[in-house]
Amino acid sequence: MDHSTLVFASVFPVLSLSHTTPTPIATPDVGHTAPGSSFGSPYAGRNPEAQGQGQHRAIKRNIAWSCATRFLSLPKDLSMVLRLQRNREVDEALAYLLVAEGTSDDGKEESLVDWYTNECRLHFANHVRPGLEELWLREVKLQHAWDVLEETQRILEHVQNAYLQPFNEHLLPLLQQNASGTTLRPTRHTQIATSDAARAADWKFRRDIQAVFAHCLPLQRYSKTLSYVLYDAGCTLFHVYIRQDGVQPAKTPEKERESRQRMTTLLQGLERVGLGGDSAQKAFGHATNKLLDSFITSHYLKVDWYSKQSIVPQLKSWIKDGFCPLVELVLACLRCEQSSILPTEVASWEEMALGRLGRARVDNLFDFVINWDNSLGAILDIKEYLRVLNAKQHLTSSFSQQVSRRLLHPGATTTYILNVYISIIRSFHELEPKGVLLERVARPIRRYLKEREDTARIIISSLLTGLNDETGNKFSSNGELSHEIASEMAKPFANYGQDADEELNWNDMNWQPLPQDASPEYKKSKVEDVIWFLLTLWEREDFINELKNIYGDHLLHCQDPEYEKEIRLLELIKVRLGDDKLQACEVMLRDVLESKRINGTIHTTINAPKATSLVTPDHRNKVPQTPEGLQPRTPQPRRPTRSTQRNLTTPTTASAEPAPTEPTLNAQILSSFFWPQLRDDDFHVPAPISTLQKEYESRFERIKGMRKLRWMNALGTASITLTFVDRSEDFHNLTAWQTSLIYAFQSLPDEAHHSTSDGEGITRTVAQLEEHLAMDPALIHQALSFWVGKSVLRALDSDTYTIIERLPKPSSTLTQSDEHAAAAAEELADLQTATTATTVKSAADMLALKKDVYVAFIMGMLQNQGNMPVGRIAMMMRMMVQGGFPFGVEEVSGLLKELERKGKVINFGGDVWGVRKGA
Amino acid sequence: MALSANGRGNGASATVAQRLQKELMDIMTKPTPGITAFPDDENMTVWTATITGPDETPYENLVFKLSMEFAPNYPYSPPTVLYKTPIYHPNVDFSGRICLDVLKDKWSAIYNITTVLLSLQSLLGEPNNSSPLNGQAAELWDKDPVEYKRLVLARHKEPEDLDA
Repeated sequence: MDHSTLVFASVFPVLSLSHTTPTPIATPDVGHTAPGSSFGSPYAGRNPEAQGQGQHRAIKRNIAWSCATRFLSLPKDLSMVLRLQRNREVDEALAYLLVAEGTSDDGKEESLVDWYTNECRLHFANHVRPGLEELWLREVKLQHAWDVLEETQRILEHVQNAYLQPFNEHLLPLLQQNASGTTLRPTRHTQIATSDAARAADWKFRRDIQAVFAHCLPLQRYSKTLSYVLYDAGCTLFHVYIRQDGVQPAKTPEKERESRQRMTTLLQGLERVGLGGDSAQKAFGHATNKLLDSFITSHYLKVDWYSKQSIVPQLKSWIKDGFCPLVELVLACLRCEQSSILPTEVASWEEMALGRLGRARVDNLFDFVINWDNSLGAILDIKEYLRVLNAKQHLTSSFSQQVSRRLLHPGATTTYILNVYISIIRSFHELEPKGVLLERVARPIRRYLKEREDTARIIISSLLTGLNDETGNKFSSNGELSHEIASEMAKPFANYGQDADEELNWNDMNWQPLPQDASPEYKKSKVEDVIWFLLTLWEREDFINELKNIYGDHLLHCQDPEYEKEIRLLELIKVRLGDDKLQACEVMLRDVLESKRINGTIHTTINAPKATSLVTPDHRNKVPQTPEGLQPRTPQPRRPTRSTQRNLTTPTTASAEPAPTEPTLNAQILSSFFWPQLRDDDFHVPAPISTLQKEYESRFERIKGMRKLRWMNALGTASITLTFVDRSEDFHNLTAWQTSLIYAFQSLPDEAHHSTSDGEGITRTVAQLEEHLAMDPALIHQALSFWVGKSVLRALDSDTYTIIERLPKPSSTLTQSDEHAAAAAEELADLQTATTATTVKSAADMLALKKDVYVAFIMGMLQNQGNMPVGRIAMMMRMMVQGGFPFGVEEVSGLLKELERKGKVINFGGDVWGVRKGA
Repeated sequence: MALSANGRGNGASATVAQRLQKELMDIMTKPTPGITAFPDDENMTVWTATITGPDETPYENLVFKLSMEFAPNYPYSPPTVLYKTPIYHPNVDFSGRICLDVLKDKWSAIYNITTVLLSLQSLLGEPNNSSPLNGQAAELWDKDPVEYKRLVLARHKEPEDLDA
């Protein structure tokens, strides 16, 4: 025993140090003789009577003590049944020490019960503990958990029985006798003074012993092990196979009855040796926690993809009929004060389980949304979950995270985002019909969609695309069209009649207050109308401007002579946005419808005079026949049919296909004021067409009171037939410049025709074509590569092209090179068409067009107002430029940099720009 | 009463703004060499203009800034024009006020910003010495061109110095 222990023991008495071993009879302790007093009478001077009695008592007590302790002392090996026989001497000694005068007085002397308790402790510490400690020294492996616990329980129970047996047999009866007799004797312990003093002593002894047991086990490790054991039992009972601990369940599942029996036995045993208590209850708490989680991720609660039902009822019935009985059983084993379960507790467990289930579902909500509506079951689960406190916040934040991580990044195409957004709208409508959640989670998506340039285009063109005629590859995931939107469009729509002032409609008997968690921007949408959500993405004006562009483009390209879909779309949008704003679109629609009528009228007036006046038919006959008449032997490309759409100041033209030899012309007459800026490339159309145009013009002026037409050749389309030496091919929906270009390969009347029947066609160079057609070189090249792609032209060198009058025989090298060239050119042409095909001017074109004015503005501003930052310049431009300045800081910066290169302005650092002196 | 007056005022200023915006557009699309003008802020009633001195005058190669303020009934009343750049000139006083008939009684609604600025530019080369605001300048103009030029240069400041 080291020094420090001794020091500590001197202040805080340690029982094991002061514990006495059974004393031999021969050495009675007579006490000390005080200095100055005679030997044998230490207390004589003070209280002779008491002293004499005390001395006598001390001796007697010592003898009795020695006898009793010897009798009660524990053998080293508890399994030895051998015990000292209880004889009369022992009886007397015990009775003397426990109930007669020998009882310890005033706590000065050690009581026999205390001594025995200590004896047990020492025995435990010396003989049992090392074994237990070895058992618990290392971390308990999961597969050994059961064994360790059971072994511990067995040892402890054995020891406890051994300790309790002498106590119960020898000490307790005496105490009980004493208690049942008079209790007048004042004692130290108040509880002993009561009638059940014996029971109290018993309780105290057990408690002390069990405290020693509990103390010798590592508490944390013990409760973890126990918790695991309970969890394991639970999993086995409920056949949960996917477990948090990663333990693979046995191939042949144990019988649940056995498992339950084993658990019950263990728990009862632990409770008997005092290891039940709080720590076991806590361990059980942990176990149920894990068990709930495991159950929720188990196969029982998988999303119901087939019958699309919520699985919440199953969860609830499990809580009620599976989980509660288990808890009751465990609590009964642990002998908790309250062993029955209150209905409120069941309810709170259900809520807890629902909360976990909901969180687990919400974690995958994005996947469920994408797979809508197969995921209806999961969505219904989440719907139940929303009743739980704080569920909505969790859902919003979690889903927003998922969306920003998985959807709102540059890698996702706009079409994909739109499709997902539509799925979100649909699924959240199921989730919460009031739409508050939808409004919240959709906000970042809407903001993001607004930033994408092509959103409006995709929406509107998808709306204009029919489901039936365009099925197939057009709706691929990275395509420009959203199948979802198109199918939405195909749904019948009722007149929703959303009043703008719904809140002020006092007669609305179905009025309901807004949901309490609604944000200020929340707007009630009574219907699950996907299109409404899409159309309200932008400010109304912005959207209508975009709509005008796309709608115009679409009308010009529309093949349907009745414009059925276009009319429907316009009506649809009018219902949602109000018809006052869509005037321009209505005018555009009326223009194209009216054009059809005018075309009809003009054609009849053209045809009617044909019979009487010679001039007109002459004209018309002459043109198409000229080439053929002159060169009947060398077939020329000829285009008997063409339909051209033109755009005019007020009107335009489209054309239909007449008899094969005579070109006909149909015009679209557009009111230029209402249409967006359209392509206006100028070039010479083939002579027969321009003749027709003039004719049309004069007829039109006659009908329409001298209103002038301005032809917009670039918007036209044509259908032609080319006749070669060995073949003839039809082409439809060509652009006007492609048609004009191939027409230019026809031999001119004054040109000597040396293309003989050897198959050599007419050859033209790019420069020639440019001069002849007055066409933009870019368009020429585009058209040339188009025709090369169609194997009509062959490039002799980089800017000389010739007609392929005779397709070379297959297998000749020429064919191969032609094919290669054709394939390459076709690709090129496709690319170029993609960029030039739009009829409406793009923003970049607009910027280029008005650059001079903008530059003048910037210069004027900087000159007069001094140096300015870019932001202010852009702001001023927006306010000052008549007709609006639809660009932002970026474009202004671009212009400024351009000016800087020209040396007109100078950057003063940061965003600030100024005029360069001396410029 | 006050309400209707306000309403009329608003309507009037709206038409002025429209008119001025159109003028701005014209100036920007058809700029006149040596003359620029631009509004100070979005309500368009105050502008800053810049003119350069005509060649072969004492004001050659000098740049002058002016402020123009338009009344709500513009163009039926002339704008108030002041030189912000200090200038030595017979018809401009030392606080920049200008004596020019078209800005006073000879104003007509057919004038616009460009014509006003052109008049001012030509006034630099051809001062009206019969009714001077600056007597000394009027006198020196004919008597001592060298001294006149020196005084012009002495008084002139570059626009950057003005801003500073």
